[in-house]
Amino acid sequence: MIHGYSIWVPIILAILAYVAIVTNLGPGFTLTEALVAGWITGMIVGNVHLGLVIGATLTLMSLGMWTYGGATIPDFMTGAILGTAIGALGGGETAGLAVGIPAAILMTQLDVLGRAVTTIFIHGADRYAEKGDTRGVSWMHLLGQLPWGLSRAIPVFLAVWLGAGPIQSLIHSMPQWFMNGMHVTGLMLPALGFALLLNMLPLNKHWPFLIIGFVLFAYLNVPILGIALAALAASFLYVRLKGSANNGEY
Amino acid sequence: MENTNLEAHPGVVTPKDIRGAMWRHIITLQWSWNYERMQALGYLWSMLPILKKVYPEKEALIAAMKRHLSFYNTNPQIGSPPIFGATVALEEQKYGDAVDSLKIGLMGPFAGIGDTLQGVLVRPLVAVFAASLGLAGNWAGAAIMFLLGVVWSVLMIPLFYMGYRQGTGLVDEVTGGGLIDRVTNIATIFGVMVVGGFVPSIMSKLTSPLTFHKTVEIAGKATTQTLSLQTILNQILPAIFPILTVGLAYWLVKRWKISPVWILLILVVVAFGTSAIGLL
Repeated sequence: MIHGYSIWVPIILAILAYVAIVTNLGPGFTLTEALVAGWITGMIVGNVHLGLVIGATLTLMSLGMWTYGGATIPDFMTGAILGTAIGALGGGETAGLAVGIPAAILMTQLDVLGRAVTTIFIHGADRYAEKGDTRGVSWMHLLGQLPWGLSRAIPVFLAVWLGAGPIQSLIHSMPQWFMNGMHVTGLMLPALGFALLLNMLPLNKHWPFLIIGFVLFAYLNVPILGIALAALAASFLYVRLKGSANNGEY
Repeated sequence: MENTNLEAHPGVVTPKDIRGAMWRHIITLQWSWNYERMQALGYLWSMLPILKKVYPEKEALIAAMKRHLSFYNTNPQIGSPPIFGATVALEEQKYGDAVDSLKIGLMGPFAGIGDTLQGVLVRPLVAVFAASLGLAGNWAGAAIMFLLGVVWSVLMIPLFYMGYRQGTGLVDEVTGGGLIDRVTNIATIFGVMVVGGFVPSIMSKLTSPLTFHKTVEIAGKATTQTLSLQTILNQILPAIFPILTVGLAYWLVKRWKISPVWILLILVVVAFGTSAIGLL
């Protein structure tokens, strides 16, 4: 099916991106998680399954990523929104990831820009505070959301509104080897998330548990919930035995 | 009507002011986050209802506002609510100097605790579980991921009141006892073991389509046997391609400290290479 979107779809998706980032900055809502953003986008463009799959793939890539101390990480939320919206036009999962992954990486530039532009408001707040103008200080804080929200909303709007047509024709002209490569890329990418996650866990100390978990699934076909229960038992046993070993009891 | 008089009375901080400050902090803390002073302005705006009551005279209010405009940054959902609660209690009692040292002293450790709890322990585990449902087209995974965010924001309320009740006692509360150590141990072992199971399950589709054809003569008749590479590999080590891919990525990040974006590009090259030769 080759058709574009009405003007409302890019507008609604832009609002979604704006609300997602601003409600994440405050109470830490997770509309910014690729899985959630992909799900909602899927409902808006009428392909929930696609949104879930693209969102889940991007979420797996982001496992070990966290904005430690305000660090910039790839914007998988925007990647999920664009990937789902473009993929739903006909290219499906492969096309969606081919759009979503580069978008997530390119968006890091705009995240840096958004964080930098907000500096204007703290200087404004300095001046109002000097005069004892609490209204002015309040406005400086509340307007601070604009660079954050618009740095997501504007690219989403433009990419879905203007980009759908050109990106779509590009996807249809993609050669088979490229589509195959993107397919394998999608299968491999969770490795990135796992690697970053393992890098943060004390693997030197706890590697035996990694092997136990692997054996339970790969050889014994234990479902994940079963592995989680075994892991819970193992972790409590470890802490208890370690505690009694330290006290000289066995 | 007495109530309204009381609330309008300068110098008296009411429970309503405290609730207002807490909600400002929950909903907007990082709206004006910037590279220069990060969460400072959000903290000031959240504290403003308290400051206006405590410092009715303009000069003192200006001084108090300028204090709060200095650099501040910590974990927003786990770290900041108790710090903010404690400093609300201190501002109320006009201990302005103690406020500054409390903020500076606690923002680092609380960022460490909060970011580890959220980013290393809870979020990855919930995300892997939710994503495995999402890959199967089950919306429950996405709903779980959304609920996780709701849990973080709801937690900010009791954490704020905990800080408010503790005041300066908060510092001792955090540094004493081996509780954090035990919880960290349980959570990391749980995490490592579950990840061990998740690697082969989530990446189970990463298999080789490669097949060999072998013509053998059985009783004088030529028969073609088809052997799948993956079947052979499964007998040696199941999920060998997921292991190799995760191993490569882990080695790149651990040994060579390569940034995620570069590892991503390397994986893309490997994926295109192996798919071009038909191995994957």
